[in-house]
Amino acid sequence: MCIACGACAEKCPKKVVDPYNAGIVKRKSAYVEYPQAVPLKYCIDGDSCIYIQKGKCGACKKICPTDAVDFDQQPQTETLQVGSVVLAPGFAPFDPSKFDNYQYSKLPNVMTSLEFERILSASGPTMGHVTRQSKDKAEPKKIAWFQCVGSRDMNKCDHSYCSSVCCMYAIKEAVIAKEHVGDDLDCAVFFMDIRTPGKDFERFYDNAREKHGIRFIRSRVHSVDPVLGTDDLEIRYVTENGEMVSENFDLIVLSIGMETSPEVIELAKKLTIDLTEGNFCQTSSFEPVATSRKGIYVCGAFQGPKDIPQSVVDSSAAASAAGEILSSARNTLIKSKEVVPEVNVVNERPRIGVFVCHCGINIAGVVDVPAVAEYAGTLPYVEFATDNLYSCSQDTQDTMAKIIAEKGLNRVVVAACTPKTHEPLFQETLINAGLNKYLFEMANIRNQDSWVHKNNPELATKKAKDLIRMAVHKVALMAPLKEAELEINQAAMVVGGGISGMAAARSLARQGYQTHIIEKDTQLGGQARKIFRTASGDSVPQKLAGLIDEIQKNKNIHIHLETEIRQVEGFVGNFETTLAVNGNEDILNHGVAVMATGGAPYQPEEYHYGKDPRILTSLELDQKFIQDDAALKDINTAVFIQCVGSREPQRPYCSRVCCTHSVDNALELKKLNPDMDVFVLYRELRTYGEREVLYKQAREAGVIFIRFSLENKPEVVSEGDKLFVRVIDHVIGRPVEIETDLISLATAIIPNNANDLATFFKVPINEDGFFVERHAKLGPVEFATDGVFLCGMAHYPKPIDESIAQGQAAASRAVALLARETIFTSGTIAETDPALCSECGVCVSVCPYSAPSFTEEGPFAGRAQINPVLCKGCGLCVASCRSGAIHLKGFDNDQIFAQIFALSKAV
Amino acid sequence: MEHMGIEPGRLQFSWVSSAESTKFVQVVTEVTQAIKELGPNKTLVKSIPEVA
Amino acid sequence: MTDWEPKIVAFLCNWCSYGAADLAGVGRMEYPSNIRVVRIPCTGRMDPKFFMAALREGADGVWVSG
Repeated sequence: MCIACGACAEKCPKKVVDPYNAGIVKRKSAYVEYPQAVPLKYCIDGDSCIYIQKGKCGACKKICPTDAVDFDQQPQTETLQVGSVVLAPGFAPFDPSKFDNYQYSKLPNVMTSLEFERILSASGPTMGHVTRQSKDKAEPKKIAWFQCVGSRDMNKCDHSYCSSVCCMYAIKEAVIAKEHVGDDLDCAVFFMDIRTPGKDFERFYDNAREKHGIRFIRSRVHSVDPVLGTDDLEIRYVTENGEMVSENFDLIVLSIGMETSPEVIELAKKLTIDLTEGNFCQTSSFEPVATSRKGIYVCGAFQGPKDIPQSVVDSSAAASAAGEILSSARNTLIKSKEVVPEVNVVNERPRIGVFVCHCGINIAGVVDVPAVAEYAGTLPYVEFATDNLYSCSQDTQDTMAKIIAEKGLNRVVVAACTPKTHEPLFQETLINAGLNKYLFEMANIRNQDSWVHKNNPELATKKAKDLIRMAVHKVALMAPLKEAELEINQAAMVVGGGISGMAAARSLARQGYQTHIIEKDTQLGGQARKIFRTASGDSVPQKLAGLIDEIQKNKNIHIHLETEIRQVEGFVGNFETTLAVNGNEDILNHGVAVMATGGAPYQPEEYHYGKDPRILTSLELDQKFIQDDAALKDINTAVFIQCVGSREPQRPYCSRVCCTHSVDNALELKKLNPDMDVFVLYRELRTYGEREVLYKQAREAGVIFIRFSLENKPEVVSEGDKLFVRVIDHVIGRPVEIETDLISLATAIIPNNANDLATFFKVPINEDGFFVERHAKLGPVEFATDGVFLCGMAHYPKPIDESIAQGQAAASRAVALLARETIFTSGTIAETDPALCSECGVCVSVCPYSAPSFTEEGPFAGRAQINPVLCKGCGLCVASCRSGAIHLKGFDNDQIFAQIFALSKAV
Repeated sequence: MEHMGIEPGRLQFSWVSSAESTKFVQVVTEVTQAIKELGPNKTLVKSIPEVA
Repeated sequence: MTDWEPKIVAFLCNWCSYGAADLAGVGRMEYPSNIRVVRIPCTGRMDPKFFMAALREGADGVWVSG
């Protein structure tokens, strides 16, 4: 019943702290959590509401125009019968109040990173203007970020893990703060290791340092003190050279980590699922979203500290896993809708109905609605005009449908809130009245009129009339549009038979879809065949064998080994791929495709690789572990060298997995021989998330970590049959020479060449050779081109657990499409007039969705055509067409001109 | 643009994301002010015959 | 001339500025009422013909926002 007019919040006398804005401002007890909330419905916070607490007030109930306030609502317990459960309870931000050395609760200008996020937000309490929280509200000139507050710290908070996201968000906050305040703003980030192992993160870090001039200082800050007589803050820290330095800042942001809340720990107990040492959900590398209890799955930060893209991947993976065990029940609870036959209005004179909405007092309180409705009645082709109290209410909808039929209306204009939220609802009314839903237009007289001109009723009324006139002129020219229905071929093709490809195929097959794995090699398994074990201690050879066995036995999976892809025709739902096996060509028809082409280790030229059998790559050392090489035990010294080929000018990305891999292998060597001297030479140690536990164990086991810089890389020297590594020790600041029996090089991961596939499926590849997903945060497993998905190392280097999750996620997105069985094209799409087309090809090259192509045969061969399935209706091709040969249905030139011309006919 | 007879300033461009309502309001206000300062548009308007 | 108010045609991208305009309403912000909004699916749809037409039809200004 709530129409989100906001009157309750305006009247409510009770102010409370606003948790959405991290407590920086107050809100009312009657509130909407944030303006973009969907559905936009107000609610009452029972803990602070005066009426609920004391039985007096009720102001909101009195003012509510729709009688939507009900104080008697009680919590209800409902029982649901379900086949699987997905846990996505999220994390709690770490509370830094207990760190007395940072004085967060005492000093207003020491704030948390989440509070600072709200300060930076354009829709936040300061509207994006960066100000201090002390009384002066001054714009800061110097801001410091302290990393690892509540992470990687056993002394004060008992969190040994790394929260994974704070380095990246702190850099982002610093860059945005400089954008908002200006380049003079001095930003300094105090850190232990900068961990930016995500896709394109390292470049962001490099730019922050080099282009934006953000200072990065490797130090844990000792303490914060107020500068006497000011609101400024003095901090003391030890530099890398061991000097104690004091520096003043205007503002300090604490980069707080993630933790699992006590409520979630309680929930886990109730569900009897196991937690890790860090109180995250216990999962395994090969089943990354399965909890210890069958049928219960997990995603997001409860699975382990992680960022948005990884959370989105996890959630799709969990949906897939939950669906796998329920696939037999799919479509058993659906109801079909009654279809009203569509009236043919072609060649009829427009008979327009205009419905002007009061929206209670939301519009009518400002705009003279009856006068506007009366005016609408005078416009050309308008047969009927009226005003409604609430156009969106069910009874008004029914009345509207009745009027459309009675008056024989063939076009409808609703002047009300906004088409962004209500267009689909009114279109539904048209459908129910037997009208094509595109014979409709909305005039936005609430969100863009009455709400923003409330002090100017006269001008608002005039604007409402103009907007309705524009809408009437446009709708008169609207034609019924068809939404073509297309069948989706129910088979899937997965390109690549590595870990992620197999995970995707297994999920698809378990959900009942025929799945083809295309592998160019002679066997399945990809790079995983060379890996010894995962960070969580799973034996890869053993688990991989199990996975391959399951893939081979699954009747829905068809394995095509030593097979290459020659050509791809078609589009979403109807791909036709030419496969080449031993010189023979074969056609595969499929509805969706998953790119899982993977990556390969960089073959190093540096550090004397290939010149001495004692110098190995990480995967070659893994091979020795797999073979249980007895000689490893007798080694006296081993040296690991990190970032071999990664984070270098020619390959600026971080390969994500190598730090954890080397630390784990170092631990394995220590286990084989505790007396062995093991060194890890690194630039930043990036054991993100709970992998940090391995780093801690390695230090405890006596592994020695020596940091080097890009400018001062270690040197490998062989003298006679002796092998030495020379490096400058960062603690003593002096060169050290290590005589060693083994050098393990942590080589970069390079994506396999997928240029042909990218051309075939019209999907992009970035400068590093990785595929570019639809959206870095929200669309991590699909492409902008419909029906094509991606997973694994073809997207970015990643460990086995993340590869499997992404494979499952790609399958999940693919199944969401396959399960629809048919797709409807949108009505508002572009269409070419081949008679006018000059074959210039501009539309083909500008379209971001690869919808236009050249017709291959028939009378219009060579002319452009637009695939209605792929077209998103953006109109880019229409504007770029030099021949005027492309029309955008629903937003065609005439229709836009009609709106423009309607303007000159002033009231 | 000037070549086509459009005075600079009659045509304004901006980029506002869907979450930036504050920026939207700021830009509307600026655009309105800028065009107000230019005065009524006379250069391109088609001549409408004055009807007595 | 002090009373004169310009008439401005605003071409707003459905996904960006049109959304921002809606949100400005939700926030009950106030701004001058001179603009008349034409919703376009994307600024890519924008054609010079449109702003020429608007100016010819007597608009005092055109604002295109993505």
